[in-house]
Amino acid sequence: MAVKIHVEGLSAWYGAKKAIQDIGMDFAEHEVTAIIGPSGCGKSTLIRCLNRMHETIPKARAEGKVLLDGEDIYELPAVTVRRRIGMVFQKANPFPTMSIYDNVAAGLRLNGERNRSKLDAGVLKSLKAAALWDEVKDSLDKGGAGLSGGQQQRLCIARALAVEPEVLLMDEPCSALDPIATAKIEDLIFDLKKGYTVVIVTHNMQQAARVADKTAFLYLGKLVEFKNTRDLFERPDQELTEKYITGRFG
Amino acid sequence: MPEAAERKALESGLRRLNENMATLAELSELAIRKAIDGLRRLDPGVADDVFTLDEEIYALQLEIESTCVDLLALHAPVARDLRTITTSLKITTDLDRIGRYAKDIAELTLQFHAKESDHARNLGSIPQMAEMTIRLVDRAARAFVERDAESVRHIEEEDDSVDLLHEQAFHEIIGRMKTGELDAEVGARYILVSRYLERIADHAVNIGERVVYMVTGERAPRIRAAARAKGDRA
Amino acid sequence: MSVAALACVAIALIPLVSILFEAGARGLQSIQPGLFLFDTRDGGIGNSIQGTLILVALSSGVALPVGILTGVYLAEFGKGRVGTGVRFFVDVMTQIPSIVVGIFAYSLILTLAFSGLVGTRLVFSTVAGVIALATIMIPFVARTSEEALRLVPISTREAALALGIPRHRTILRVVLPSSASGLITGALLGVARVAGETAPLLVTALGSLYGFSGLDQPIESLPHTIYTFGLSPSTAENQAAWGASLVLVLIMLTISIVSRVIVRLRSVSE
Repeated sequence: MAVKIHVEGLSAWYGAKKAIQDIGMDFAEHEVTAIIGPSGCGKSTLIRCLNRMHETIPKARAEGKVLLDGEDIYELPAVTVRRRIGMVFQKANPFPTMSIYDNVAAGLRLNGERNRSKLDAGVLKSLKAAALWDEVKDSLDKGGAGLSGGQQQRLCIARALAVEPEVLLMDEPCSALDPIATAKIEDLIFDLKKGYTVVIVTHNMQQAARVADKTAFLYLGKLVEFKNTRDLFERPDQELTEKYITGRFG
Repeated sequence: MPEAAERKALESGLRRLNENMATLAELSELAIRKAIDGLRRLDPGVADDVFTLDEEIYALQLEIESTCVDLLALHAPVARDLRTITTSLKITTDLDRIGRYAKDIAELTLQFHAKESDHARNLGSIPQMAEMTIRLVDRAARAFVERDAESVRHIEEEDDSVDLLHEQAFHEIIGRMKTGELDAEVGARYILVSRYLERIADHAVNIGERVVYMVTGERAPRIRAAARAKGDRA
Repeated sequence: MSVAALACVAIALIPLVSILFEAGARGLQSIQPGLFLFDTRDGGIGNSIQGTLILVALSSGVALPVGILTGVYLAEFGKGRVGTGVRFFVDVMTQIPSIVVGIFAYSLILTLAFSGLVGTRLVFSTVAGVIALATIMIPFVARTSEEALRLVPISTREAALALGIPRHRTILRVVLPSSASGLITGALLGVARVAGETAPLLVTALGSLYGFSGLDQPIESLPHTIYTFGLSPSTAENQAAWGASLVLVLIMLTISIVSRVIVRLRSVSE
């Protein structure tokens, strides 16, 4: 599989505090890669560096190489990088004053698209891709706040998909959801794999085992182990990894 | 590196599993020892002991299976825990079979007449084979309990010796049957004993291979003796 | 405990209720067409109402954009030392007594006039009044706008940025609309505040017996009318002062109610 994102020597800081150190890994195209590790190990920092969201935090900086299809993301405009690499957050965050339709269309509209039929088509396609169309097709002009947690998260996924990214980053997308909503989103990820490259941060190891092709284990800002999910969970190389995944972290 | 924390429920389940597995291994080894002893002395009392052991082995095997399923369902184990549990599941089958073969040998013992003539001579290589087989079973069982992969890494080579002895015994007995020294029905029983011992050794080898997987995660390719011999000849 | 609390509430409400009552009772008899049709030279308050409306409209026209943009700066970009400094000064400015602001506007124009940059006529004029009122309004609106924008959670901004929407458009098309209720409330409260300011107008807009006659001319206002009519020896004018008070109170009440209605309407539609 081709390499979609190549990371080399990536380190990132919040002010003086170093959050991740010297990370090197390749994210393969059309695969789901999971990033696991204990709280504070740098998982969220790592993916936020991938779409240059890390730098939106005051006093935050990053060093190292991140190549998207071979291009250095720090040489592309940040706005372009974020359109090609979309993101879904831990807590669903639909725009509060916008309707469902406007939410999904926001990315397109606020980047200049005015053609109504193009917007309609984009909204339809994204809501279908996010497995939400059937549930909201008759209430597109209602606000997003009336939806359940799982539906709101799928709305955010639809919104992210509407700008047609190549990669989708998901930062613990199911941590606030019940098992049924979680299962729906995991099924969705399975389908999304065909058209997108997915990177998912999760603190739930069983989730990583269920959805990811490859899994990376981060500890205290360093990449400890990175291999096929099946191999990592059956036979990890590192003692530290074994301790973490068997739940024996002190 | 952080200190290993306890996972109380899983740990206690694994502890119980290991204790049961150790017991099962002991019982299987005891069964085959007794069966051979009973065969050598043509002692029907010992044969009865073996029947009892076989039943105990079967019951314990069922309990172990149930424990393994519980641990899998409740704790979603991974890595070493997962390998330990799946290996235990597979090894109980081998240990149970060893018990069954021991029982089969005990049954054959009962069919020999109390004072079978030339019994010692007819046994021929069989006692030697039995010794090696029992040692194999012992080694495999100990490797499992002590989680020692090194001691059983090349266990299949010793099995070759057992196979050779089996062939030897086979030819011996066939020979004597052809010359009429040995009655066909009686001779057939000796051949069966030898066969059972050879199968027991195979099961011990299985156990050894699975122990290597359990400890290291490696799966070694099995090269059968015949294929290896073919390789040597080529 | 709750009895004592209720007693305190009653005490706090007494002045408010009595003001409304007095203004209502005494002012009501003045509410006739004559009050509105005549100017102050004839004992009416038509020019006062016109003056207040003009002053408030012009001041808002200046102060609302400046105040809201300052609020945007403070909320979106004001996290460093510069932002802290600006915020401090804005806070100080909200505390400055309005007469001081008036004197400031007066002396500013006077200085400009003496250096020949503007005509001396501007010292007492509508423009002067607008400068004073705007100076009072800007820091107030800046702070309420900043608070309103702060209420928009960071996650909303992040969601927009993550879609590849540039920062300026995120602020303009996502954050500002999300905080619209808060911004509108802040703006209306700022308007209500300056509609009742008297002291600064004394040294800037001055007062006039006529209606609006030009930006460079003095202009009458309701608070000023209440002051002059109230102290006047003519009982007819005293009575008209009550009428003016009632009108002013009603204007303030209307603004208050309108801002609440807007907030209610917006939160229902969300």
